[in-house]
Amino acid sequence: MNPDAVEENQEEGNILVWLTGLAFLAAMIAIFIYVPTERTEGVIQRIMYFHVPSAWLSFFAFFVVFICSILFLWKKEREWDIYAQASAEIGVIFCSLVLVTGPIWARPIWGAWWVWDARLTSTLILWIIYVAYLMLRTQCDAGSMRARYAAVLGIVGFLNIPFIHFSVLWWRTFHPQPKVITNEGIGKGMDPTMLATLGVSLCAFTLLYFLLMGVRVRQENLKDEIDRLKKEKLYSS
Amino acid sequence: MNLFLNQILAIVWKDFVTELKTRELFSAMFIFALLVILIFIFSVNLSVVKASEVGPGVLWVAFLFSGTIGLNRSFMLEQENGCLMGLMLVPADRTAIYFGKLISNFIFLSIMELFILPLFMIFFNIDILEHLLPLLIVIFLGTLGFCALGTLLSSLASNLKTREIMLPILLYPLLIPIIIAVVRMTGQILNGEPLSEMMNWIGLTASFDIIYIGVSIMTIDHILEE
Amino acid sequence: MDNLGFLFAANVVVWGGIIYYVYTIRQRNRALEKDLELLKETLNRKG
Repeated sequence: MNPDAVEENQEEGNILVWLTGLAFLAAMIAIFIYVPTERTEGVIQRIMYFHVPSAWLSFFAFFVVFICSILFLWKKEREWDIYAQASAEIGVIFCSLVLVTGPIWARPIWGAWWVWDARLTSTLILWIIYVAYLMLRTQCDAGSMRARYAAVLGIVGFLNIPFIHFSVLWWRTFHPQPKVITNEGIGKGMDPTMLATLGVSLCAFTLLYFLLMGVRVRQENLKDEIDRLKKEKLYSS
Repeated sequence: MNLFLNQILAIVWKDFVTELKTRELFSAMFIFALLVILIFIFSVNLSVVKASEVGPGVLWVAFLFSGTIGLNRSFMLEQENGCLMGLMLVPADRTAIYFGKLISNFIFLSIMELFILPLFMIFFNIDILEHLLPLLIVIFLGTLGFCALGTLLSSLASNLKTREIMLPILLYPLLIPIIIAVVRMTGQILNGEPLSEMMNWIGLTASFDIIYIGVSIMTIDHILEE
Repeated sequence: MDNLGFLFAANVVVWGGIIYYVYTIRQRNRALEKDLELLKETLNRKG
């Protein structure tokens, strides 16, 4: 990489950092000051503004894993493997946040930490699938084999989501129905201020995803570069 | 096409001959499934819980666990003696290897299930003969889904450092939808409901089977590649 | 409606989780830097 490109990259990274920071500041103000308290649930409802964006982010991240896995098997370029790995890590982190904030909300509202409701169950299963995906990555040595195996699991795992969804849905459900997108159209089920707050929060989390992705991808590239240099300089002579 | 079928048959035949010579796998699977059922009977108080309520779950857990033993053997046996390399050197399609292994896993598991079913009937005091045909259809669909995904992941896990541990960790979460489906269906069948009452579950299981066999055909080349 | 404790806990968890992840990234970066230094040193000694 030439120095100019590095500098440009860093500048872009800095802009993203500032944007993410601002978005989170705006989201925090909106969540704790701007938005009115919900009538039936009280202050606890404000958890929703973290919970839903985290859930969105983890599903999005897993979708990126799926796409990158397909692209990797198709093109066999190391770049896609890096993207898949970074995305899976971030997805698992945010999926864990969903799984922890959910019970914290459920305890005062439902009176129980955990209920075997459809969406809770499917999120838990999803979390296990991608934890297994990351474990698989630690089980093989770096190289083409690890990338191929992980890609296969990334595809198989994502294709499982519709099956999990329907099987668990027919099994049982009591989760609050989605309020943002209902049968009447987008955003009809919610107060506009709440919708705006949720929107800001969603933006903040999405920006954070891209920020973290960028950092992790750069890190993996650096690692590859170091490994390559090691092989070239230390073992060749 | 004929050649392809012959290749598959050759692999299945090879697995059968090995099994007939050694008789390791089948007896282990059978005894293990029996043990799982016994452990469940001891851990659940059958005088309190209705047998027909826990029965289907216990039956499928037994199939699942002993099936995992079979899957673990299927590619690791090849791996240990370097036979997998030999298999891959044969000018056969990789999908032929997959289908061969899928069919032999499926047949082993089905035979084991046919032996377990009468024991299940006696231990749980459930009359399954009345509903035998729908039950066999459900077992067929469930076992096929289990073997389709299991064979793919077993070929993948056989190259890992900790293969016996990783296979269930990778496989079980992906199997949860099909486990829910077959346990539900078995329960309903034992309650005397006809298959037409549970078309949604049958559709789910059948599409699971088809999609995962399809995905395996598309990805097996990338796993069995050296 | 006094669930402020729960709200606070959820916040701590979310921010804690994000900070923890950033921290692990930082740790990995440190390890990489160390690796790079070692490489440089070895190369200097060699050449």
